[in-house]
Amino acid sequence: MKTALILLAALPALGQQNFDFSTLEKLGAHAKESTNISLEGETLKAAASLANLSKDSPVLQGLKAIQVRSYEFDKPGQYNPADLDAVRAYVKSLKWTKIIDVKEESETTEIYLQVAQANQTGGLAIISTEPQEVTVIFISGTINLNDLSKLTGNLGIPDMTVTHGAKKLAPAKKD
Amino acid sequence: MKGVPMKLEDELRAALRREPAPADFAAGVLRKTRPAPLFSPVTWAVAAAIAVGAIIPSAYQSWQHERTLEARDQLVLALSITKAQLDHTKAMLQNKRQRQ
Repeated sequence: MKTALILLAALPALGQQNFDFSTLEKLGAHAKESTNISLEGETLKAAASLANLSKDSPVLQGLKAIQVRSYEFDKPGQYNPADLDAVRAYVKSLKWTKIIDVKEESETTEIYLQVAQANQTGGLAIISTEPQEVTVIFISGTINLNDLSKLTGNLGIPDMTVTHGAKKLAPAKKD
Repeated sequence: MKGVPMKLEDELRAALRREPAPADFAAGVLRKTRPAPLFSPVTWAVAAAIAVGAIIPSAYQSWQHERTLEARDQLVLALSITKAQLDHTKAMLQNKRQRQ
């Protein structure tokens, strides 16, 4: 009985163990373009302070870690969608709220949030799949989504021209 | 009178006869003619320690600055990708709504 109780108590802790995002890099084995970003702790703080982001913008003040894995392929079918199951299971284990699950033709986007306060999140996860593109973003710490959208063109962040079914990076506009 | 110069000659010959140099003669000459080292090994060791002590912190600082610059660029790229994904999702939702 005692063993069962101890096991039950340990389950949430096991669920919240850190996820090794480098395991997602197998998704990009056949990618023509890859982006792997892992920033946390002192490196993230130093990066933010160097860009004066934390002083001038509240967007990054509460950030703890950012993980981005994004891969673009020459043709469809060059990655195994099952490789995303582990990260989905991890986000579910954190009990974050799935706020968006949109499927359109062959595209899917899932957005999970950990709601901290009004208009602020304690974490954000995005899992996006397209036939020739797959992106996983995991941000832990407080982030204000409204502030994030205001970053366009500032601090060297390029304006993203969004057209249906295609995301293109355009140079930052200069006023 | 004739015997005296002969004796002198013999003595001179004996005194000036060729003798092989001692075994360590060449090494001794080289040792004595070599210029004295400018600095002692201890001086060199202290100078090297000072140079290393000055170079390493500066090299480390420079490496750390490079790493931070790299991290800043990665941070900006990560935020750009996040924003693009959010905008793309917004566009997908709008398209879906328009079709309904």
